[in-house]
Amino acid sequence: MNRSAALSLFAAALVAAIPAFGHHSFTMFDMTKRITLAGTVTSFEWTNPHCYIEVDAPDDAGVVKHWSIELGSPSILLQSGWKFNSLKKGDKTTLVINPLKNGQAGGFLSQATLPDGRVVTNGPARQ
Amino acid sequence: MARRGNNGATFALGAAALLVACAAHGQPASKAVDLSGIWGPYRGGRGADAKFSPPAASPLVLKPEYAKPYEARRAAEAEANQRGEQLANASAQCIPYGMPTMMQVALYPIEIIQTPKQITIISEAFSEVRRVYLDRPQAKPDEVPPGYYGRSVGHFEGDALVVDTIGIKPTVGGYRGMPHSEQMRISERIRLLAPDILHDQITISDPVTLDKPVTYTLAYKRMPPEYEMVEFVCDNNREYVDENGVVRLKLKDK
Repeated sequence: MNRSAALSLFAAALVAAIPAFGHHSFTMFDMTKRITLAGTVTSFEWTNPHCYIEVDAPDDAGVVKHWSIELGSPSILLQSGWKFNSLKKGDKTTLVINPLKNGQAGGFLSQATLPDGRVVTNGPARQ
Repeated sequence: MARRGNNGATFALGAAALLVACAAHGQPASKAVDLSGIWGPYRGGRGADAKFSPPAASPLVLKPEYAKPYEARRAAEAEANQRGEQLANASAQCIPYGMPTMMQVALYPIEIIQTPKQITIISEAFSEVRRVYLDRPQAKPDEVPPGYYGRSVGHFEGDALVVDTIGIKPTVGGYRGMPHSEQMRISERIRLLAPDILHDQITISDPVTLDKPVTYTLAYKRMPPEYEMVEFVCDNNREYVDENGVVRLKLKDK
């Protein structure tokens, strides 16, 4: 068996045996599309099964709109440099998100710029 | 004196029970291997040693009357996925996975706590707990109320912890979502391949739904020594299931 065939089989075995996501799939989000929100945090919820950033961000016309952004769980975020107090109400942040496919003002975080300037992702890189 | 005598009798009874338990396994008890620690899913990846990667799973062969609805459900899930929708499942409603799925969920580690009489396994996802009673006989099926973790007994055979689990209720999601009956039996061989690599070879048999047992292996890597398990209480579930059985996300307006 060549290497790539072996890898494919290995990948197939993994897909078969293990739930890839702790809680739900990412199907509702458009993972091919990324948009950037530069806004003000109204709350940061360090909770299970997911953490959330509630944020007010102006659209292209300057009209402020409220967004609910889903993150991984605390367990997953801790593995990529987040803390329960990485964000708080009033903080300015820039979020890159995968938006909901249904067009509502929600999305899944791709990366965030924290007030201290650090750029953090939504969980460790998947191998 | 009488007290000492009682202790002696208790010890003798305990030893006899252990011998009976070992005899039931057909061989003398092996020395326990220390499996304790916190173990994260091991996915291999670039530059990884191939011998630590889990071998491919055996095929899932359901009996025809179970294969048909199973395949129909899988097709419906794939179709919904194409539409950008996820069909409802237990975990989206924050219901724990139970056995055997809890043994590896996404990137969440498991913690193994080992004592001479019991091995306790805690999954970080949903804080699930299972207990493996060592060197004790398995209960009769009608003595185990069907649940998420059933009843597990284990013993060491050579370098492997061999675990037998019965009593998983049919509504608990099976391997790859397979249907299973109350007669499902989960057999595991848990062993160290290296000081920091652990494998759990899982064999599921079910005389009602499976034509033959299915075997797959989960691999783990020891987490860094400073790692501390994270709590997981599902108290902010914003996903809900709509009238069409599709998972939706609740949004806030401020």
